[in-house]
Amino acid sequence: MSWLQKPIFVTGATGFIGGRVCERLVQAGAKDVRALVHTVQHASRIARLPITLVPGSLLDRASVREAMGDAKIVIHCGLAPARGILSTTENALKAAADAGVERFVHMSTAAVHGLTPAPGSETEAAALPRTGDHYCDNKGRAERIVHSFHRRGLPTVILRPSIVYGPFSAWSIRLVRELRDGKVTLIDRGNGACNTGYVDNLVDAVFLAIEKDQAVGETFYITDGERITWGDFIRAHVPMVKNAPPLQEISKAEVADYYRRQPGLIWGSIQQGGRLLRSRELRFLLRRIPAMGRIETAVWGWMQAQPEQRRERIRARFATPETVEPENNGNFSMPEEVTLATQTGTVFFSIDKAKRVLGYQPRIPFTRGIGLVEQWLRFANHL
Amino acid sequence: MGERLRIAILGCGAITKSRHLPAVLAHPDVQLAALVDTDVERAMSLARTHHAQCRITADYQSVLGEVDAIINAVPNHLHAPVIIDALNAGVHVLCEKPLTTTSADARACCELAAQKNLVLAVGMNRRFQPGTLILRSILEDGLLGSLQGYDCQYGGSYDWETTSGFYFSKAEAGGGVLIDYGVHLLDTLVDWFGPVVNLEYQDDDWGGGIEANAIVDLHHRGNYGDVHGLMRLSRTHELPNRLLVKGSECWSESPASDTDVVLVHRRLAGSDVTMTLRRPEPDLGFRSNSFYKQLENFVRGVQGSEPPVVDGWHALSVIQLIEQCYANRRRIPEPWSDLADARSEVSS
Repeated sequence: MSWLQKPIFVTGATGFIGGRVCERLVQAGAKDVRALVHTVQHASRIARLPITLVPGSLLDRASVREAMGDAKIVIHCGLAPARGILSTTENALKAAADAGVERFVHMSTAAVHGLTPAPGSETEAAALPRTGDHYCDNKGRAERIVHSFHRRGLPTVILRPSIVYGPFSAWSIRLVRELRDGKVTLIDRGNGACNTGYVDNLVDAVFLAIEKDQAVGETFYITDGERITWGDFIRAHVPMVKNAPPLQEISKAEVADYYRRQPGLIWGSIQQGGRLLRSRELRFLLRRIPAMGRIETAVWGWMQAQPEQRRERIRARFATPETVEPENNGNFSMPEEVTLATQTGTVFFSIDKAKRVLGYQPRIPFTRGIGLVEQWLRFANHL
Repeated sequence: MGERLRIAILGCGAITKSRHLPAVLAHPDVQLAALVDTDVERAMSLARTHHAQCRITADYQSVLGEVDAIINAVPNHLHAPVIIDALNAGVHVLCEKPLTTTSADARACCELAAQKNLVLAVGMNRRFQPGTLILRSILEDGLLGSLQGYDCQYGGSYDWETTSGFYFSKAEAGGGVLIDYGVHLLDTLVDWFGPVVNLEYQDDDWGGGIEANAIVDLHHRGNYGDVHGLMRLSRTHELPNRLLVKGSECWSESPASDTDVVLVHRRLAGSDVTMTLRRPEPDLGFRSNSFYKQLENFVRGVQGSEPPVVDGWHALSVIQLIEQCYANRRRIPEPWSDLADARSEVSS
């Protein structure tokens, strides 16, 4: 009996990857697809499909168990903020173990090695570091939970895509918007490793992970296997945007230096808090709270009691010159810190293991993938 | 009618909470007699938050003998049986759009209302928005010159605060974006430009689901002769969110962002200019709201002093049009989706 004849449960089905998984399951002839829907308003894309939308929340173990029913295959693309990544993954795994699921495909990420993976992380054999980034570290911890369920007998497979792009992807939607606004800056000429994966190639890997018994208990990087840089990825979107202003350039060192000069978390927060407190709008709102009116009066009274010089010093302390907003310094757009981290890696992940064990062969090359993205962006009024 | 009209609201979902209930509570000629919902807790909570003194029940049949009229705001597929029961009990009905999910049901409702001499009005609140009334006057006045067609595009990520989620069930909603949102637009377009004599329809339902995107080419024949138009709707992405009506002298634009105005674009002394047309109306708070005006029209209909702006028969013609669309649907091409199966390419 083909796995496509069995009940299949998809989490994260209202998202970019989970949505495409559902579509591809329908195209492949799956007979019983159940999509977990947390926020029904987000279900427009998958509501078009002949599948069952099941309400529930990954944060609630009982609701996941109920929604999963007698599913035999689970494709877990669901996500939650911060440590919710752990509880949602554990809830899905526990429900799958209870349901006697025959294959659990866990959508992890190559970012378990951080936003800027260190050399040596090219293959799945590399140990996971502590990256200091909440998302990356929690996705790493989630993998450990998956392993623990595998040791207890649940047939799990972990896939680690990196930059997944395709129709409906936020990467391309955001990029063409920023290109139109002239807000795209190449860091170090865009030489950073992008590790693109066209979404359909990733879904191929999901299907293979379900089909191949030798996949069980294993972890696989899944990319297109092409050495696409961020410069390649960004420049591929440029011709789509009519009259796009030229790309800006900056060095990694300059961006890093810019952020080094910014106030640290604590002092920056105090400064920003001070500015907010002094804004007329906030003070106006705060005065509605009776106690705040008293406090403000007291602070004002205290300030008035200080010598003039001291008052000036206090004012000056909180009235530091406006820091330059990273996203708009005149005509120049300073990349955000997360962009600096994401776009300056040197590691291209190897998909040799996926090819060897899964028989994975990325069939949509970058040029074709970008063409499909452009067709969708035009349809969806993004261009 | 000396006494206030006793109304029950059936269905305590998002539209009742934000629109129908405030309208009923604000209307001086109306008395809220009951809130009905299968989820009694929801109905009670709604009554509490609005300080509404009325009966709360899950059984709509039990209130029909106690009221003059109902507002029918239950999920779409239940509209018809509720209307039939209400009319048979001698109760007037203001029904949320769409009137029903099939034209057969709509016709049965209309015929029963006529037979019982009761009002069957349909909630097309847009008819009462100032911008809609201004555009109607613009067309009647001939301000645009001879009509060349229209372009109507409304779309955005779906964000309606649905309580029951029935919108995503074909069986319960009757369809997707066309029957949910398109029904409003078709209602006004047919009202302005006349019956549709020809149409071409595409959507992105994969079969067995409900469409998120719909594209309709419409050909009307009415008071303004032959008018061609394009209607595009989306629940997945932003569209311009406006209706353009193109004329030989100027174009009108009805923006979704401001339903009080119509913009008129024209050439003036060799330059493009835009005029903003707005009715000088006092701000009456919620009484300026289209749902309040819709309720008022319904109340006057029941009192016999004016006909409903949208009655069942007009709604029936729109439902027939929607059925015609679904019956003649073609799939919107999705070359990004319709890729050949992976394994066959890999193995070949």
